[in-house]
Amino acid sequence: MIEAPNLRLEALAPFAFVAIGSLVVLMGEVLLSRSESMRNAPSVDVRIGTILSFLSAGFLLLAVVVAAQAYMSNTAWSFNVDNPMMRLDRYANFAIGVIGTAAILVCALSADYLNGLRIHHGEYYALLLIAVAGMILMVSAVDMLLVFLGLEMMSIPIYVLAGFDRRKLRSNESALKYFIIGAFASGILLYGMALLYGATGATSFDGIRAGFDPDNALAIVGLGLLVVGFAFKIASVPFHQWTPDVYEGAPTSVTAFMAVTVKVAAFMALVRVLTGAFETTIEPLQDILWVMAAATMIVGNVMAVIQENVKRMLAYSSIAHAGYLLIGLVAGTGEAHAAVLFYLFVYVFMTLGAFAVIIVLAHRGKDAERFDDFAGLATQRPALAALMVLFMLSLAGIPGTGGFIGKWSLFGAAVKAGQVPLVIVAVLTSLVSVFYYLRLPVVMYMRDPSDEPRRMTTSSGEGFALLVCAAVVLILGFFPSEGPGVLLLDNLRVLHWARDSVAFLP
Amino acid sequence: MSAELSLFYFFAALAVGSALSMVLNLRNTVASAMSLVITMVSLAAVYVLMEAHLVAVLQIMVYGGAIVVLFVFVVMLLNLRQDDFPPGRQRGAKALGVVLVVFAVIKLLALLPAALPDTVAALPEGFGGYRDVGTALFTRFILPFEATSLLLLSALVGAVVLAKRRLD
Repeated sequence: MIEAPNLRLEALAPFAFVAIGSLVVLMGEVLLSRSESMRNAPSVDVRIGTILSFLSAGFLLLAVVVAAQAYMSNTAWSFNVDNPMMRLDRYANFAIGVIGTAAILVCALSADYLNGLRIHHGEYYALLLIAVAGMILMVSAVDMLLVFLGLEMMSIPIYVLAGFDRRKLRSNESALKYFIIGAFASGILLYGMALLYGATGATSFDGIRAGFDPDNALAIVGLGLLVVGFAFKIASVPFHQWTPDVYEGAPTSVTAFMAVTVKVAAFMALVRVLTGAFETTIEPLQDILWVMAAATMIVGNVMAVIQENVKRMLAYSSIAHAGYLLIGLVAGTGEAHAAVLFYLFVYVFMTLGAFAVIIVLAHRGKDAERFDDFAGLATQRPALAALMVLFMLSLAGIPGTGGFIGKWSLFGAAVKAGQVPLVIVAVLTSLVSVFYYLRLPVVMYMRDPSDEPRRMTTSSGEGFALLVCAAVVLILGFFPSEGPGVLLLDNLRVLHWARDSVAFLP
Repeated sequence: MSAELSLFYFFAALAVGSALSMVLNLRNTVASAMSLVITMVSLAAVYVLMEAHLVAVLQIMVYGGAIVVLFVFVVMLLNLRQDDFPPGRQRGAKALGVVLVVFAVIKLLALLPAALPDTVAALPEGFGGYRDVGTALFTRFILPFEATSLLLLSALVGAVVLAKRRLD
């Protein structure tokens, strides 16, 4: 007789909502397109797309609400009491909240954009939801097995999403490149995990921590391969080469999704793995992360300067931001980890906002992605241009925006932890970044518009996403204290959330 | 040295040798794939020595069978020749790679003497049998076991999306 495992289904709630949502969307598309009333209606695809987009956003919202509630009630649930492979604690809930919110905004941005590209909706949203489900597993995992499973569940749908625009060669190239390099990275990661299992006899974080011996070459090599595998996913130098090509070729809504949610999920999982399964004071790990952080900031920022394509520029910018975030890992204190979480929170909204502007400007299936495409935007669409300026200022870290507060707290924590040389590199490279971030505002405001037709409308979904992003970036920049207290969100509150979350790291 | 141990060394050497021949055989990819079969089967033999019969059978069916067949199909469908590959570039990177590999091999060889067993390890009762594997899958590893279905679904949907013929 096999004894039934002792399970707590609550721990799976956010994951389950998203997973069920993906199935509902997948079936919903089939059922909707066959129903009598839909078949005869004009522009069926557009309608179905809108319905599915709302449906996916609804399921994501459920997951976010559950996570928020679990966060507030400060519970830590393990799914399987006998073998706790995942733990839904505040850290996981914070991540789920951020990832879920970002995914909702991507859903809002996608509906119209996909119509423009004449892309089929059903599978798009289903794959998007499965990817989010994978991220949820990954950030709540406390076992290498589940980290890997979550990583694959996140990556495979995104390989497909990157190639969704099948008519475009670039999209195909992007998917293939991402797939091959991603599969390679997964292999390296898995090899690292296997070596760690061989050295310590455990896959759980606690077991690895207990059995880890820094003098054991097998364990050290395993740790190195693990870091390399993650470095591919967070796009850190020297494992970043795929990023610009993939970001450029993928449909922009997918690029936005990749740039934002994958970065958050991979980074938060990396922090959880490194703090959970290892002593962060292991010397070789510190050295590796130090070099990676410095190289990532330098290469990302310098290469971004010479880009002529806005999507590629944002790709290098996302590499650069991975470099800033790595500083927090090198510093390794609780305060630094909280600053990393805060920075990720801001990063999500400012990056998503920048991509949202590109999506709004996509006209008849053609992306506005070269710098020239933005010429004279300020006279044609002043509000949109102003929003883009805001996002660019925030990405550059100019005071008054969320990006500044993020950099401030991150660099401050790193200085306190004694990482002064890295912070000097970070500040210098941030100065370089101002140059390329401000190039777009200059083109928009100082140059005359070209004769090419420009899309002059914004759909309600796109407007919603833009407003949310802009509001968060502004609020996080302008309300550094508890302030009037009428807002749901302010700087200090998010920082508190981040601090309470990292308290759950060992 | 007991018979079991000498069998282990035989199959372990066979696995390593055929793995090397797979990687080093640059001229014929099908022959490489066949070397991979030998590696997989030798590993299965090692599992049998550990009395993990279910794992051994799965190893032959899944890896020796399905996966290598897939490899051979792809190799034959693509039918690549040496001339199809672009001429060697990035000689510096290659040299660096060789140096690093030699370094890693020396490091690993230094570890080898300590890792070689001279006695047969004792195994827990029922280890690797269908009953133990099944129990583990449905109790301790129920979450990854079930979550994998979603992963497979996404791969399935993705394959249909990318490979369907009609561009609508």
